[in-house]
Amino acid sequence: MGTGFAALLGLVGLSSAFALVAFVLAAWMAWRIVEKAGLPGWTGLGAILLTLTAVGTIVPLVLLWIFAFMRWPRDTMALARATTSGASGSTTGGAAAPSAPSALPPPPKALTDSRGWTLTGKLGDGTAISLSFDASSSAWTLTGAPAAQRTELSVPDPSVSRPHARLMVAGARLGLADLGSADGTFLDGARLLPEHGPRDITSIRAIRLGSVELALSRV
Amino acid sequence: MPDIFHYALLWFLSIGSFFLLMLLIGHVLMALFLIVPTWRIFVRAGFSGGWSLLHLIPLIGSFIVMAILAFGDWPNGEASGSG
Repeated sequence: MGTGFAALLGLVGLSSAFALVAFVLAAWMAWRIVEKAGLPGWTGLGAILLTLTAVGTIVPLVLLWIFAFMRWPRDTMALARATTSGASGSTTGGAAAPSAPSALPPPPKALTDSRGWTLTGKLGDGTAISLSFDASSSAWTLTGAPAAQRTELSVPDPSVSRPHARLMVAGARLGLADLGSADGTFLDGARLLPEHGPRDITSIRAIRLGSVELALSRV
Repeated sequence: MPDIFHYALLWFLSIGSFFLLMLLIGHVLMALFLIVPTWRIFVRAGFSGGWSLLHLIPLIGSFIVMAILAFGDWPNGEASGSG
């Protein structure tokens, strides 16, 4: 009889221990859940505590339904943040901010044009020539001599001076300056004199160095 | 005598099955009262509402549901987090 009573007490004690652990765990989790929704943590704890009272599980169940369908402070805060960051003006009152149309995101930046240029044409003796250059250097020299540097573009023709002209690259724009050539530089048929300085040839298609006609294109 | 025993066994099995069925129906009904609001809570938090079906697991289902909501990062943002 005594052993059975002790076993019963032990069973009750074990069950109580499990119930206590479950109760504390549930209260802790309820606290965290309502805090994530923006409510004070004690409201979740209180809902779990109510299960200890005579009302049983009915009231916590009702509170669960209220919690599921009520307006959460988290949503109000998110709306206020979106309004503050989206509108140009500052909001007044924070949570009760009027809903202003949020600004559209800025248009995407234009892609940088990293293409190079090509000068193609024929020399006086009929030899085809193709010169490529890009924005890796801001200045390229057109010369009748063989290219001694990477930034020199050789046009081996007797009518091309050494040097003849300079190409200047600034982003997607291209300039050309005559360097006092003997037989002259021509842009779309018009003579470019050294005193003219650099000319924008971005929209120019035909360049003549002496007697060598070159077509400008982008690659 | 065997007939009485046979009928008694049938009687007890029927009663037991009936109570088990009632227990199951009661559990599902009770779970439904929990699943509906929890489904909405899960959706508002950014999870799939299907997680609320874990309430159907006897005894520990509600604890699993609460643990997911309490310790998981809410995809739709939390009041205390970056949102």
